[in-house]
Amino acid sequence: MLKRTLTAIGAFSCLATISVANAATEVQWWHAMGGRLGEVVDEIAVKYNASQSEYKLVPTYKGGYEDTMTAGIAAFRAKQQPHILQIFDAGAATIINAKGATIAVADLMAEHGAGFNKEDYLAGVRNFYADSDGKMIGMPFNSSTPLLYYNKEAFKKAGIATPPKTWEEFEAIAPKLKEAGYIALAQSHSPWIFTENFHSRHNLQMATANNGYDSTDVKIMYNNPELKMHWGKVKEWLDKGWYGYYGRAWGDNQDAFIQKKTAMWLGSSGSFGGLTKSAEFEFGGSFLPYWKSIVDEPKGTFIGGAALFAMSGHDDEEYKGVADFMKFLTSPEMQYFWHKETGYVPITNAAYDLAKNDGYYETTPDAEIGILQLNQPGGDWTKGYRLGYYVQIREVLYKHFDDIFAGKLSVDDAFAKIEEESNDLLERFNATYN
Amino acid sequence: MKRVQFSHSPIPYLFIAPQIIIICIFFLWPAAQAIYQSFLLEDAFGLSSQFVWFKNYKDTILTDAWLQSAGFTLVFSFLVTFLSLALAMLLAVKANEVIQGARTYKTLLMWAYAIAPPVAGLMGNLMFNPLIGDLYYFLNAMGWDFNHKLDSFDAGFVVILIAVWKQVSVNFIFFLSGLQSIPKSVLEAATIDCKSNLRRFWTMTFPLLAPTTFFLVVINITYAFFETFGIIDTTTGGAPGGSTSTLVYKVFTDGFRGNDLGGSSAQSVVLMLMVLALTVIQFRFIERKVHY
Amino acid sequence: MLKLSWHAISGHLILILGAIFMTAPVWVAFMSSTHSAETLFREGLQAWPGGHFFENYNEVLFVEGGVMKRVTASMMLWNSLLLGIGFAIGKVVISTLAAYAIVYFRFRLATPLFWIIFMTLLLPLEVRIIPSYEVVAGMGLLDTHTGLILPLIASATGTFYFRQFYKSVPEELLEAARLDGANAWQFFIDILIPISKTMIAAILIIMFVVGWNQYLWPLIMTTNEDNYTLVIGIKQIYQVLSEGGELPQFQKAYALTILATLPPVIVVLVFQSWFVKGLVESEK
Repeated sequence: MLKRTLTAIGAFSCLATISVANAATEVQWWHAMGGRLGEVVDEIAVKYNASQSEYKLVPTYKGGYEDTMTAGIAAFRAKQQPHILQIFDAGAATIINAKGATIAVADLMAEHGAGFNKEDYLAGVRNFYADSDGKMIGMPFNSSTPLLYYNKEAFKKAGIATPPKTWEEFEAIAPKLKEAGYIALAQSHSPWIFTENFHSRHNLQMATANNGYDSTDVKIMYNNPELKMHWGKVKEWLDKGWYGYYGRAWGDNQDAFIQKKTAMWLGSSGSFGGLTKSAEFEFGGSFLPYWKSIVDEPKGTFIGGAALFAMSGHDDEEYKGVADFMKFLTSPEMQYFWHKETGYVPITNAAYDLAKNDGYYETTPDAEIGILQLNQPGGDWTKGYRLGYYVQIREVLYKHFDDIFAGKLSVDDAFAKIEEESNDLLERFNATYN
Repeated sequence: MKRVQFSHSPIPYLFIAPQIIIICIFFLWPAAQAIYQSFLLEDAFGLSSQFVWFKNYKDTILTDAWLQSAGFTLVFSFLVTFLSLALAMLLAVKANEVIQGARTYKTLLMWAYAIAPPVAGLMGNLMFNPLIGDLYYFLNAMGWDFNHKLDSFDAGFVVILIAVWKQVSVNFIFFLSGLQSIPKSVLEAATIDCKSNLRRFWTMTFPLLAPTTFFLVVINITYAFFETFGIIDTTTGGAPGGSTSTLVYKVFTDGFRGNDLGGSSAQSVVLMLMVLALTVIQFRFIERKVHY
Repeated sequence: MLKLSWHAISGHLILILGAIFMTAPVWVAFMSSTHSAETLFREGLQAWPGGHFFENYNEVLFVEGGVMKRVTASMMLWNSLLLGIGFAIGKVVISTLAAYAIVYFRFRLATPLFWIIFMTLLLPLEVRIIPSYEVVAGMGLLDTHTGLILPLIASATGTFYFRQFYKSVPEELLEAARLDGANAWQFFIDILIPISKTMIAAILIIMFVVGWNQYLWPLIMTTNEDNYTLVIGIKQIYQVLSEGGELPQFQKAYALTILATLPPVIVVLVFQSWFVKGLVESEK
């Protein structure tokens, strides 16, 4: 009742509303793609809208990943949600465990005549945003994977021929790079690269209950000897001047690489396009290194980035539009376009084949590295993870990694705290979502 | 209240109605919701919820992260208040003394009032940017191994510096007008009685400015608690290790980044109580003055 | 004599240092906004003018599809102006009326209503922001200027300013007006408002600055890029900066910073005496 009264008052006192009158059914898409990526999203929308007249796709940039997720959630609570919402990897558990907030894209596309076959998607891509039975809930959109970029000039100066495949190799070349005047390595997202993908690459379990896919009643397993060994090493590298830390923001560390402060940088396969434009030196890409002492045969990595979710609470006509757009988006041509423009990996086999047949990787071999890494043999623990309040858990990780770097906590103490605080959060999540 | 007033009639209700209606819809209702929310465990999308009494308080208040944030908030508020008041008072006393250029000084010192905290934060952020920031290079060249991305002391230094910078002008305006309201004859008498400038300041000027100072302390604490949000959000974002996250910033990150509504609301309510306590103190020790 | 002049010199020195402290960051921001992205990225901040003033400002002000994509700074400038002016006027209208009722009338609910109004000072929007969002959304006011402004007006600071001011108005005025047979409304419009003119102007200026500088609320409230204010635009450009990618566009960040700073600074400087008076009077 109150709500209705409020609505009446609102309508009455409304000074100016911005509305777009349109005959075509509008499909709202809230995304987190800023800068050049946002421009490509707009181009996709233009292409889609030109390809048909029944639906009008309206993409809206809502800020960073967290901003977009929060805006989408707040809008859902107020029953003003968009049709399509982009949610990043760390937010997957929040949206998938909220039963009834979304409609699984597998169902949506099958139901509305767009057709859906899971096998069409790359092996490394199809599981991350799926439920524990493997049904795809979210449509992977900007899929990336961590890669090592290296400055070829710097390597030449230091007399090194190839980028390191393993961390043991890294330790061998780092002093040479230091001598040549470079900090050997910087990295842009320590929870993503040096924690989550560390587990995938070495085929280590991250959390109980099948990495969290089977239940929300789950415990984190980060307090393990392998990961602690790695972070002990990273701290050692920092102290020796082999590792640079320029801040938490993604760009801080990438810019250090561009400014030739560091010889290598761990970033995303999606960084490729930006680097091409901003780096004034020749650079190359390579797989994420692994510890030979832990595994002989490294596994593939997780996809990072984000997926598109169809929000519930709209009518069939609109869902038809959503399904139609998803079909358009996953077509080989559009995937190839997205892949070429941004460096994100194409998510379907057909798009990958198209790129190969087009000779794209002959001219731009580095663009294929991410896909090859994703397509490396999978293991028991390489399909992904589903952990609640993971945004906060990443904060916990950042916080204690900062403490390790600053020498405030020993690696053992830091990981004991990480385990304790993460499990508190997981427990809270379990209590909330059950 | 006026001694002479219009007598009872429905008219006053009409006058006060717009204000009260807006307060009810946009203040009381949401505030009540926040309190109610703090007792609920609810999923982010609002699809299921359970009443859990004080679980949210137990889970979020007095945890390590909260205590760290509360500790920082206290130190931060104290330093920002103290430094910006001291600096503003020094400048106001000097600006009140000089004859030449007084107007120019005044203008140059007060104009930063108009700059939004997040804008000040962004300017400061770029100044300290390790890639292009001159202050970053300068401090390192001075022999200070400065790295605010890694070192919590340095990060605190950056945030406090920007917060002080932004607040000096408001304090300056109040101090200067406080000084100008001191009668000239009093000042002249003081000059004759007391030759030392410093002593004259402590025995004369400072006590006369005390009411203004008290009042400004409250404003500055409120500023440090709430309005510095924009500065923190555009500089450190609470990093490194959550060491520069104020309580308000933590409410925001838990609620708007982590989507933990109950936990965030519980922290809001605690914050509310803290502000309430602050107001009571204000009323106890300072005469009834109300200001934003 | 010598001592005195030393004192004067040290005074000037302190003031000059203070003035530099307060102005240098904005100066550097302005100068840096006239350079190219390459210069800033390779050589750091700039203290002297560069040759890209028109290019940079033209780009942020008018070129769509820059960093801000569909949004231009001139559009954000307009939104900021609407927010600043709407907020200031709304606040003044509502609070002059409410303060009038509180000060000049005796009515049964006066005390509880006063306390309700007072309570709004205790609880900033920041701590009740999620439910506020839901209320505004429930009323269908997302992405409207009404929805942006009304919740901000709910804080009754203005009412207290005017309450203090009315209380200092001589009582004889009301007595005289009543002898002339003026009713409540006539007294308000014909006498109280005219003598409050300076005060109203001062509050308008202060509130314009406060409204213009709003950050967190517009940040979550505006879901549509068309409604971004300048302060929000700056946040977005900062977001893009920190995400990395291509060459960081520091010059545009600075140009936007200057644009966001200019209007409130001009207002404050032009109406300096009113503004200072209003700010200080409100304390009494």
